[in-house]
Amino acid sequence: MKRLELPFGHRADEIHIATHRNTWQLLKRKLDEQAPNEACAFVLIRPSVGVLRTTAVLGEIIWPDVGEVTAAPHALEVSADYISRALDIAIDAGPLVGLCLVHTHSKSECREGIARFSSRDNWYEHRLFPTVVGALPKAISASVVLGSAGDVDARIWWRMGKDALTQAAHAIRVVGPELAILETPSSTWTDHPDPAIMDRSTRLWGRDGRRRLQNLRVGIVGAGGTGSLAGFALATMGVGKLVVWDRDIARKENRHRTAGITKEYVGRPKVAALKALADSVATADPFSMTAHQALGTTEEALRHLKDCDLVFCCVDKFAPRVPLNDLAYAHLIPVMDMASWMHPDRDKRIDALMTHAHVWSPGVPCAWCRETLTSYRLTQEAQGKQQGIEKRIPYGLPLQDTDGVEPSVLPLNMLGVSLAMMEFMQVALRITDRTPNDLKFILPEWELDESDRPARPDCDCVTSVGAADTLYIAPVLMEEDGD
Amino acid sequence: MNMSGSGKSPTTEGLVEPSSFLLQAVEELSQKSGYPFQISAVPVPGTGLFVVHTPAHPFRSEYTVAQGALGFRTPFNFPDAGPEDSFFIIPCDVKLSTADPVRKSMDPNRASRAEKLVTGSTLGNAPVLLFSWHLWAKISWNRRVHTLVDHYTHCIRRFEQPEHD
Repeated sequence: MKRLELPFGHRADEIHIATHRNTWQLLKRKLDEQAPNEACAFVLIRPSVGVLRTTAVLGEIIWPDVGEVTAAPHALEVSADYISRALDIAIDAGPLVGLCLVHTHSKSECREGIARFSSRDNWYEHRLFPTVVGALPKAISASVVLGSAGDVDARIWWRMGKDALTQAAHAIRVVGPELAILETPSSTWTDHPDPAIMDRSTRLWGRDGRRRLQNLRVGIVGAGGTGSLAGFALATMGVGKLVVWDRDIARKENRHRTAGITKEYVGRPKVAALKALADSVATADPFSMTAHQALGTTEEALRHLKDCDLVFCCVDKFAPRVPLNDLAYAHLIPVMDMASWMHPDRDKRIDALMTHAHVWSPGVPCAWCRETLTSYRLTQEAQGKQQGIEKRIPYGLPLQDTDGVEPSVLPLNMLGVSLAMMEFMQVALRITDRTPNDLKFILPEWELDESDRPARPDCDCVTSVGAADTLYIAPVLMEEDGD
Repeated sequence: MNMSGSGKSPTTEGLVEPSSFLLQAVEELSQKSGYPFQISAVPVPGTGLFVVHTPAHPFRSEYTVAQGALGFRTPFNFPDAGPEDSFFIIPCDVKLSTADPVRKSMDPNRASRAEKLVTGSTLGNAPVLLFSWHLWAKISWNRRVHTLVDHYTHCIRRFEQPEHD
């Protein structure tokens, strides 16, 4: 067969395919059942466009009807009817929805099916995708090949002018309660040049875990009491790329409960203090921390967050949690949320205390299902210094202005971050078989607990998983103050 | 409640302007209610709440004033956050024409004068009569379902209730 030059383009520095774990498992299982024949299916995809990275998020699978695909061990023929039916479904789903062709290279008697686009694949897709992207001009389309040993290759396709261009994908993120990242042959991941310095950690998560940490990009929203400790811990553990947002300037009052704010950093941005700390303890090589002295939930920050593999939510308000929660499910980016609450009685003795770390990721109930977020709480928070006015004024009681000041101590922040880091190890490195919904430490019981609240079937965390850029996430521009 | 227990929770600063969601919701409310509702250009100082009101809305026949301003406050992050569970009317000195037989009072039930509730709106610093009637007690606000029309419906339903329940 004549070798073809594919029309390569540059859509973004990084290209990912992302998929809900359930979609991926179903797709793989049903396509693998066709072995030794090759098999294929079209899948709807939605774009998740960040600053550095464009991700194509797999959605609904459009299975071929009988007779729409003719398969053999080393060949596939896709009928025009199947292509046209899939295109119609994609068009009906909205202008940003594209099509992904997923096909297998099955194992033969003498060797594994290798996940590399073959010359035949190139020849075929070179003819198919100009038609696909021509019919779906605003969408990103994609193709994925699955090898028989679990290896993968992928690329995206899009329209530019009259041309159909393609760019290789670097990885496929399979996201459920845990995050799996499958590297493609185009992966840019590198190994640590001196892995010996991580010896005792690597004994737990192995070479693969070390490689993953080295190449993960983790976002941290809020660089205060919890965010600074999370940044310190992630840099120490060997995460290679951190991106941190906080608008606040460090004050002397922050020093006793925030990592990294030395005397020299009082009066300077908190993110600058955290960057200095992270740079000094980082074990990844190379290591980079990008510091944004800005709110982490602006339109621009939310776009940057789509570049991240995982995000730590270290804010102390409810409102910024809304877009971060939505990001986790719509863009398949797991979020570790930390929250603490402490209530002293009149004698300054604690009569109630809670700190928890909560995973927001497909397959785990979201903040709305768990009622960390409720509309009532958000409204109450927006009332600011007039909090509870509707409960007092109409009954003839005077309004008590509140400044919302609550106690804050380093040990509680450390405990919350420790719980979140345990969740992080599970989600990113899968150290056990099950990811807990949350880990919660409560007083006066002095006990660690896990919530058993299920996801509500009509919640966005079930119905809008992988909606990506087709779901508008409203930015939140309120004070974040994660100090 | 201050999440993460990390000290001072500053005054909530909402958006400088109402979001497009809020503007659309107010427009829908005006269309469906038949009254021209307007929204304040900035949040009430010290809060993240915008004032939504209509200047001439009929009151219940038992009141000493036949009509006046009727409104409520809704957060900058609407619809994730629902409107406050209350509403107000102006003038603030509205009374019952005849005393409620059960409470033996001329005052509307569960309503009191409030200051600084509508600061920043076109109502200026006018004191209001603020009602709380547990509007959203039976059904919780659902950000994907409810609209300002639902809230308004709850508010005027208050006018159909007896003054002593």
